[in-house]
Order: sequence, then C-alpha cells, then structure tokens
Amino acid sequence: MSDQLMTEAIAQPGMPSARMGRLFDWASDRSTLIIGLTLSALVLFLGFVAPFIYPVDPFAIHPNHALEGPSRMFPLGTDELGRDELALLLSGGLATLIVSLPSAVLAFVVGVAYGLASGLGPVWLDRLLMRLLDAVLALPSLIILLFFASLVSLTNTSLILLLGFIAWPSLARLVRNETMAQKGRDFVLATEQLGASRFYIARVHLLRVMAPILVVNGTFMVGDAIFALSALSFLGLGVQPPQVSWGSLLETGLDIIALDPWWMILPPGIVVFAALLAASLTGQGLLLRWGNRR
Amino acid sequence: MSAMLRLENLSVSLTRGRGNVAILDELNLSVNRGEMLALVGESGSGKTIAALSVMRLLPKGAKISGHIWLEDDDLTLKDEAGMRKVRGRDVGMVFQNPLAALNPSRTVSLQIEEAWRIHNGGSQKVARGRALELLGEVGIPNPAGRLDDYPHQFSGGMRQRVMIAMSLACSPKLLIADEPTTGLDPLVARQIMALIARLRREHDMGVLFVTHDLSVVEEHADAIHVLYAGRSVEWGTARGFFGHPRHPYSEALLGSVARVGQARLQNIPGNLPEPESRPQGCRFAPRCDYRQPECEVLLPPPDTNGATAAACLFPLPVNARPDIFAMVEQGPSAFRKPQLEITHLVVNYASGGGLFSRAKPFKALNDITLSLGQGECLGVVGESGSGKSTFGRAVLQMIGYEGSISLDGKDFSKLGRPGRRVQRRRIQVVFQDPRESLNPRMRIKDIIAEPIRMIGAAGKAPVAQQVANLLGRVGLNPEIGELLPGDVSGGQAQRIAIARALAAEPEIIVLDEPTSALDVSTQAMLLNLLKDLAIEGGLSYILISHDFAVVSYMADRIVVLNAGRVVEVNDAGSIITAPQNDYTKALVDAAPQLRAPNREYPLPTQNVTGSAI
Repeated sequence: MSDQLMTEAIAQPGMPSARMGRLFDWASDRSTLIIGLTLSALVLFLGFVAPFIYPVDPFAIHPNHALEGPSRMFPLGTDELGRDELALLLSGGLATLIVSLPSAVLAFVVGVAYGLASGLGPVWLDRLLMRLLDAVLALPSLIILLFFASLVSLTNTSLILLLGFIAWPSLARLVRNETMAQKGRDFVLATEQLGASRFYIARVHLLRVMAPILVVNGTFMVGDAIFALSALSFLGLGVQPPQVSWGSLLETGLDIIALDPWWMILPPGIVVFAALLAASLTGQGLLLRWGNRR
Repeated sequence: MSAMLRLENLSVSLTRGRGNVAILDELNLSVNRGEMLALVGESGSGKTIAALSVMRLLPKGAKISGHIWLEDDDLTLKDEAGMRKVRGRDVGMVFQNPLAALNPSRTVSLQIEEAWRIHNGGSQKVARGRALELLGEVGIPNPAGRLDDYPHQFSGGMRQRVMIAMSLACSPKLLIADEPTTGLDPLVARQIMALIARLRREHDMGVLFVTHDLSVVEEHADAIHVLYAGRSVEWGTARGFFGHPRHPYSEALLGSVARVGQARLQNIPGNLPEPESRPQGCRFAPRCDYRQPECEVLLPPPDTNGATAAACLFPLPVNARPDIFAMVEQGPSAFRKPQLEITHLVVNYASGGGLFSRAKPFKALNDITLSLGQGECLGVVGESGSGKSTFGRAVLQMIGYEGSISLDGKDFSKLGRPGRRVQRRRIQVVFQDPRESLNPRMRIKDIIAEPIRMIGAAGKAPVAQQVANLLGRVGLNPEIGELLPGDVSGGQAQRIAIARALAAEPEIIVLDEPTSALDVSTQAMLLNLLKDLAIEGGLSYILISHDFAVVSYMADRIVVLNAGRVVEVNDAGSIITAPQNDYTKALVDAAPQLRAPNREYPLPTQNVTGSAI
C-alpha cells in the first residue's frame, strides 16, 4: 500500500513521442467536436456540392431499369420508376437542407428574441409571454404541423415558416430562464449603473455570456429541423412531388418494402441519421469545449 | 505532552493539467494532546491540502510521501478501509461551509446520530441521546427542541455548531477545522473560536486549525505554523510568534491585517507564485523587503535562535517587534460640504407571498437619515441581515425605496428618466466578488473601455490610451488588457473592477465588501490603493463591510446598522475610542485590535514546540 502511495514521478517521455502524445491529447480532448464537424461537412457536401459532381438528372426515367440494385450505371440502384437513386438522394439532400437550415435559423432568432424580451421586460409581459409559450408547448408539435400542413399549400417558404414555428418555444424558455439568472449578476448591475439600456445589456452582455448555450442549442435545432422535415415528408406533407427529400425517399422505399429494395431504404436512412448525429455531436463538442466558462 | 498528530516530511503533489505539481513540500509539524495548532497561510499555500491529507481526502491523482503519525499509527500505511475507521472516530473534521457540509433534507439529529452509529452501532435511541448531549455541549440553546430541525432552520453560526457537534460525536482525539469561521460575522466567528478552544480543553483533544486569518487565532492558538507557497516559513509557540515574529513574511502578514485604529497597512508587493512556477530558493524572496542575492538560490535552513523557528537566511532580530503599533491621530473630522443627502429612507422587501398567500412586507431599512460629505469616506458596518447592502443598493438606485436621496441637492425621485440616468452614473459601485462583477467572456480592455464609450468620453483621448491610464492608476500593467477575467488573480480582478468604476468618472463609489473575498495581503494592498485614489481624485466612498477593522481603517465617519436601523453614527475616532452603544461596543471588541505598545510579550523559556525538523 505504501509503495503505491509513494510512487515516484514517471520518467519524462522522449521528445518525439511526447509531441505525438500531445497531438493525441489535443485530438482526444476535442474528439466529439472533430467527429461532429467532419460529419457536418460531409452532410453539407452531399447537399450542396455533390449534385454538381454527379450531374445526373434525378427525374430521368429509365423504364427498362426499374427497381434495379446498385450497378455500374446506377451506383445506388433505381426506384420503381427507374430513376437514379443516387441522383435522387443528392437532390433530396439539397431540398432537405434548403428548408431545414433556414427554419432552424428562424426558430433560433425568434426563440432568442422572445426569451430576452420575456426575461428583461416587466413582470406582466413575462407572465403573458410565458403563458402563451405554455399554450404552444402544450400542443404536440406533430399535430400542429399536420394541422397547418393541411391548411396551407406546401411551398418551401411555408415549410420553413411552419418548421420554424414549432421549434422556437423550447429555446425561448431556455433563454428566458438564463436571462433571469444572469441579469442579477454583479456585472450586469454595474453596467446598469453606467446608464446602459436593457437592449444594450442584452446585446453586449447577456448574449455573450449565453453564447455557449446558444451555439449548442442552435446546432441541436438544425438536427431537429432535419428530423421534423423528414418526418413530415415521410407522412407525405413535406417537400411536395416531383421534388424529393430524404424523408420522402425513405417513404417510397418503405412503401414497397415487400420487394426488399434495401438500396432505396438504407441510403436515405443513413444520411438522415448522419445529419442528426453531425448536429448533435457538434453541439456536444462545443459544449464540452466552451460550456464551462461562464 | 505527547504528540497526537505528527507530520513527518509530508509532501503532496496533485495532477494539474498534464503533469504532477508539488503543492506541499516537506511539512513537519506536530499537534499535542489538548493543544491548538493554527496552520496559517494564504490561498495556494497548501494549508488545506495538508489538512485533507491527514484524512486522505485528497483529489484523485494526489501523491503523498512522508509519514502521518496519529499517535503510534502511520496513516500513510493504512488502506481505504482502515482510513474509514479513522475518519470520524479518531479524527473529526469541520469544514468551512456548514450549509454545504450538512444534508439539507435530513434533521440535524439524524445527521449527528449517523456520525455516532457508523462507528459505534447501537440503537437509534442511544444515538439520539448522544445527539442531544452534543447539541447542548456546543451551546445550542434549547437543544431538545431543536433536534428535529433541519439545517436551514439554523443561522450560520448555529449551523457551524451543529457541524462541530457532528465531528465530536465519537469523541475524536484530533479535530481538524478547515477555516471554520470564514464567512461568519466577526461576533459569531469569535464565539465559534471560543467554543473550539473550550472543547479542546474539556476533551483534551488536539486541534489542527487551518486558517488564512491570523487575527482569528491570535487569542486561542497555542502554536502557530505559517506556510507560504507550499513550504513552512515559521513555526513555534503562538506567544513567541505574535510577540516577536522572525520571518519577513510573518511580519508582513501581521502588518497587513487591518486593526482598529491603524495608521497604514503594510503592502506585500507582488503575487503568490503559482505551484508550477515557485522560486527555486526561498519562496518568499521575490516579494521580500530584506532580500539578498543568496536568498534566490539557497533553500533557507530554519533559524531557531528566537522564540520560534524561521526558515530564513536573514531572520528578523530575536527581539524585533512587528511595526503595527502606529495609531492614527483621529480628531473630529473637518466640516465637509454635504454631497449626498439621505432622508427618511425606508426599504420594504416582500417575502413569502405565493399564488394564494399575501406577501408580508419586511422592513429591510427603517427610517435612515444620513449625509455624505464631499471627499468623505462613510463606513457602514453591521452583521449580515443588518440592511447594510440594501442601503448601498438604495443609494445606487438599484432598488425601490421610500424617502428621498439627493445628490448635490437634486432629488433622484424628482428627476425625469434621462436626468435620473445621468445623475445615477455619478455614483458607481465595486462589489464583493470580483469574478462576478466582470463579464467572464469579455477582454479586460473592453470591460474598462465600456464605461468610457458609454459616458461619451471616448473623444477626449484615444480609448486605448485612457484604458492604459486607468490600469496604471490601479497599479496594473496595460498588457493585462488582453486577458479574460478568468486568467487573473482575485486581487487583480478587483483592481480591474475599480478601474471600471473609475472609468465612468464618478464622484461617489459605493464599495460593497470590496475586500472580504480576498487574501489578507491582497486586502491590505487594495485598501491602500482605495485610500490613495480617494486622496488624488477627490472621491467620496460609502464603504460597506462587516469587518469593523477594515471600516475603521478607511472611514472618516462610521454608521452602525442593526436590523435596518441606525444604531450609532459618529466620527471614526470617537466610535473606536468611545462607542456609545452596546452593540457597537461588541463590534469594536470583536475586531482585531492594535497591540498596546507597552504590552509585554515575554520570550518563552520552553523550547520551540509544534514542530521539529
């Protein structure tokens, strides 16, 4: 026992291995973030760049090649109409990202502004805004989505608004609570003493202190938006034909699952999963890295 | 007297970043039966690590070498199961924050019973009897009625008594108290100190008392052991130490404790070295006034010629007296033009109050009428809950109040919104916790530049120039501007907070406990800085503190608050020498006092105890 306690300092490792060790430590400290960012880059590449590298018309029909497995001509096979699955996947990626990214941004901006207003405004405003928020949160988001999706025509714009509308409340509540916690801190009081307006305090001090939470939740919102759009598309209420999205591709594949077209189901499933994982890992990585400095 | 606890060449290193860092080097000390040894040091001295290593409660990755003898047992040879039998049974421990150390969801009786039954077993009935006995022993009034109360129902001092009762449950041979009085009001701290001193005698128990505050242990400690940056600098009997300190650091530390009526606090220049960058020779050398070239390379051997042993190559003469006797001449202060006038100030807080119950108002301040003269420092003293911080906040217009507060004859409540905003800016604030008062994600230069831009002074000179000037005024290097608040020490952060307040060009600064979160030596430097700034800038201060000595050091006039009312207000000199009110008297008595110049501190005849190398 005593030997164990009185262990001598370990001999210093040699220089080259120490440098490798440091590099390894550097990477392992940030492994979550690195994997997340790499995956994100991959997903963005699939959506925005890959369609130009693989410029095949996704809507060209090859009746002779309907429902074929992967081949040299069709790397990911074809669907029941004989369309190139890979081209569809890439086009669907663009359609998915073009809707879900702006909707996440919209939800983010609305959520932050709503939360700040509630946290910094007078008590009556806070009560009003929070009860309103409770009302929105009380309804299951999928039901709201289905309700509005059946009312309005589904263009990209309306989808962005719709997805943005269901995603902001949780962030708004988070920002409001954080604002409540931060606004009584001494540095905020000292800034008020200088004659600063609430808007200034929110902009310069509160947003800065909340930055880690905001960034992390922002990335999660992107993941949520992709998921929500895929879910909607899966139900046939998302991106409308002839356009395709990852969700609708998955649906077509599952419709004819009896024929076992694994090449129509696995790829869209994997990219949706990868996109969610990318957003989640990036967020977690950022949290690990910057979350503690508050 | 036999040694109860003996540390032999105890060294401790902790994992920090990627490597192991030595925190404590070759500590030798012993605590005898019935003796109280005060282990004194500032933050980073290794004092807490030394205490925790006795219990082996060190963080993961810590390495201990040397021996820890508890009577005839070497604790370093015990395994974890063996240590569990020692903790609580042979060695009791009291922590700094009793609220954190007690379980909020269980009654105090259950917690004391638990401490007893873990080692003694037995029925709950017996244990409950023991708990009752202990609560009475630590001086909790009506112990039988309080057994089933929860920790939050006790005041801070009473909670600490409960904690002490718990640590005594198994009648330990040794009690380790880690800053048990820090954070308590001075009056309460004194009572806790006296309690520990009494219990040690009654139980013939050794006490290892860890503290950063020399003035706390002056009255009761038998032996002193001073640590600096992980090494012992001076040790010996308390009488010898307080009478004739030998090590320059001890002298400086004694001189930087604020005492009632003191003329000038001693500055210790520089900062405590980080464990990674401790000097090679004497660790205090870079900050020492008596430094010689050899100090920087040689590890000083202990000099044992005096009443205490001092690890110094050039210790102070054996009969040297610390230069802390200078008493300031305080006549009635000169007439000053009133600047801030407060009349019939009342602050109500609503407490309780939920959806279905009416909030009941609570008068935090009750009919306060005061004025602050131009260039004056008004000290506001009181215990926690006296309303002193509320008073500061009302002056700062941070909270609502009744009555009137006017600056240069202009009543805040009669001004329009823009006028109010401008007038409010003329009063600035420095808070207690410097880390809280700086935005942790803003660079220091931006923190200081913010008020400059906001008051429209950016046009006068380049902002960077103004920031550098302000940093210079508070004694900091302009390079520090590039750092974030988390990268600087507590004392530096507080200087930055002062620079930020100055940047707004205020006429009055409210100082709300500006030094109570800081180490003693840092506190002294900061108080001196504030004094100098007031003289050069014609500033007025409202200094709020629970520490009477600090207030008396700074203030021209002192207001004593108790339960929201003014108990006494007078010139600082008059309050110190002739307090009129009993409460004031108690506060003055609880504060560290100057030693009368003619009081004798005889050289002890017995040998140096407490430690041997």
